[in-house]
Amino acid sequence: MTTAQRDFATVVRAVEPEARRLIASYPEGNARSALLPILHAFQNVEGWVSPEAMAQTGEWVGEPLSVVESTASFYTLFHRRPVGRYMLHPCRNLSCVMNGAGEIMTHFREQLGVGHLQTTGDGLFSYEEAECLAACDRAPCMQVNLEFVYDLTKEKVDAMLQAMRDGTYEVAPLPQNAKPGPDWQISQDVRGKSPGARGVSDPNDPGGMGDATGVSMIERLGREPRPFEERPSRERLVADGSARIAAPATNSEH
Amino acid sequence: MPVVKVLTEGIGDADLRDIEVYRARGGYEQWKRAVTELERPAIVDIVSKSGLRGRGGAGFPTGRKWSFLPNNGRPRYMVCNSDEAEPGTFKDHMLLEEVPHLVLEGMLIGSYAIGSNHAFIYIRGEFLRGYEIFMKALDEARAAGFVGQKLFGTEYGIEVTVHRGAGAYICGEETALLNSLEGRRGEPRLKPPFPAVKGLYGEPTVVNNVETLATLPAILRNGPEWFAAVGPPRSPGYKIVSVSGHVNKPGNYEVPLGTPLRELLEIAGGPRAGRKIVAIQPGGGSSACLFEEHLDLGYDFDTMAQNGTMLGSGAVVFFDDTTNFVEAALALVRFYAHESCGQCTPCREGGHWLEVTLNRILSGGGLDSDIDMLVSVSHQLTGINLCPLGDSIEPFLASVVKRFEAQFRSYVRTAVPA
Repeated sequence: MTTAQRDFATVVRAVEPEARRLIASYPEGNARSALLPILHAFQNVEGWVSPEAMAQTGEWVGEPLSVVESTASFYTLFHRRPVGRYMLHPCRNLSCVMNGAGEIMTHFREQLGVGHLQTTGDGLFSYEEAECLAACDRAPCMQVNLEFVYDLTKEKVDAMLQAMRDGTYEVAPLPQNAKPGPDWQISQDVRGKSPGARGVSDPNDPGGMGDATGVSMIERLGREPRPFEERPSRERLVADGSARIAAPATNSEH
Repeated sequence: MPVVKVLTEGIGDADLRDIEVYRARGGYEQWKRAVTELERPAIVDIVSKSGLRGRGGAGFPTGRKWSFLPNNGRPRYMVCNSDEAEPGTFKDHMLLEEVPHLVLEGMLIGSYAIGSNHAFIYIRGEFLRGYEIFMKALDEARAAGFVGQKLFGTEYGIEVTVHRGAGAYICGEETALLNSLEGRRGEPRLKPPFPAVKGLYGEPTVVNNVETLATLPAILRNGPEWFAAVGPPRSPGYKIVSVSGHVNKPGNYEVPLGTPLRELLEIAGGPRAGRKIVAIQPGGGSSACLFEEHLDLGYDFDTMAQNGTMLGSGAVVFFDDTTNFVEAALALVRFYAHESCGQCTPCREGGHWLEVTLNRILSGGGLDSDIDMLVSVSHQLTGINLCPLGDSIEPFLASVVKRFEAQFRSYVRTAVPA
């Protein structure tokens, strides 16, 4: 699969009729309501929400680019940078974690060689661990380009990734008209922001224990369910090197 | 076993996504009857008498919610909340994909009852399939003359707009949903004014859950007494319960309210072989845990509230004796930290630091004092935010720390090494 040549004028022509229809579906004078749906329409065509797409959306709904971008940045499903052909969203919430999602996430990270919110070097896969997808009866579950995949096992994941690489997977790949980078987050100036707002913890080193990919922790947590008493104690984790105890936390850290 | 089929009637036997199949089973008859035979106050009265309480989480009486709309001659809006994302809940996902016409008929009846000529449905961004199915159902209903102007030869007309969200749990909160529907960031609004007075585009608005609206055709068909007679007096009717966790047959089960939790467990196939249930989260990620001694409680709004938790969205998660409650707590705390909209400092900062602390504990770097801190921080960020998201952290976290303290203690050091 090659990256198609990007021609934004063609993109606009493809989206415009849908955008006009969307704006007309809201009560008159409320074009801004169509902001999210129009961004969806652009993302359906381009695979991401480009700055040009946001500017064009702003023109149609009568809002400046800053308003469109501020709004788009609130929603996790809009990608303001190019992403891979397959957006993989395994669920990391309660019912899935209780049914082996930890093992599935570990497997994804190992097979893909990337962590949370990252894209593989070949631009084929983007990986994001998602919150509850409302399919807890079929846990562990995931979405691939927003199509549900249920009752995940490692074997199912392997077969899925292979089919995607072979171009035979049942879910259509996302359009891609620009080469994705290693991640699709937009770095912002966080100076002066509070810890919660800038997100101190690294999603790929959640415990802050120097576990660069997050794999060792998730793997340790994601083994087959078994009684709590049989789990390795902290002392053993330290002894066998699976956990590295950092300098003791002090109150000044909080 | 008290599994009933009211909203779930026909699911699995027939393709109810097809309007002809739905109509052959009496579909849209109540919609026609409402517009051609019933006065609006009569429908509000029927729903009030039925005792129907909101199925989205708060459990507010639906008829009373409708009665708050002011008579100011302004346009009114009906908004169906299909932003289902409460951890453990998957009933609206099923209704949207399996019985879209039932959801639409409920929306139409609700809109007519409150005197609205424009209804909206806000569908969670992740429900792409559900969105497509609902769009098709809406087209079919429009072609069949159930949506549009001068319906059934009357002067009444209604438009329906389908709006897709884009990935934000907070948009399930009704004022955040309205902001998102207006094309803004999904940040909850300061209340009052409540949506009934100033909602979508500043006009009187009712926001109802998918299941609440989908219940209306059955209540009109069978009468309010039929619904009110089921279950406990102040918490009547049938409810779809999403059962998941450590059970053999997780799934959506429709039962009368008041069904004992133990019976729900049996319906869902019971615990896994050789295991026993040690905890139950009865109302979605925001509810406090109950424990094995509570298994005989009836599952209804009031009984849950009297026992310090809530029925919420009807998501029941059973935990067996293999559960690591530190991990379970992390899954939920991480969720609330991730989904905080960031407006209110206690929720934005508190959730984040609780996540960091739990990660540290699980990674083996935690201290004894971290456990007390989990409890005190989650308590301190409660009740001081614009919306209930921040308040949702404490119930589960505090209840499992209290009950399974030994598990938390086993991860931490008791003293800082010299």
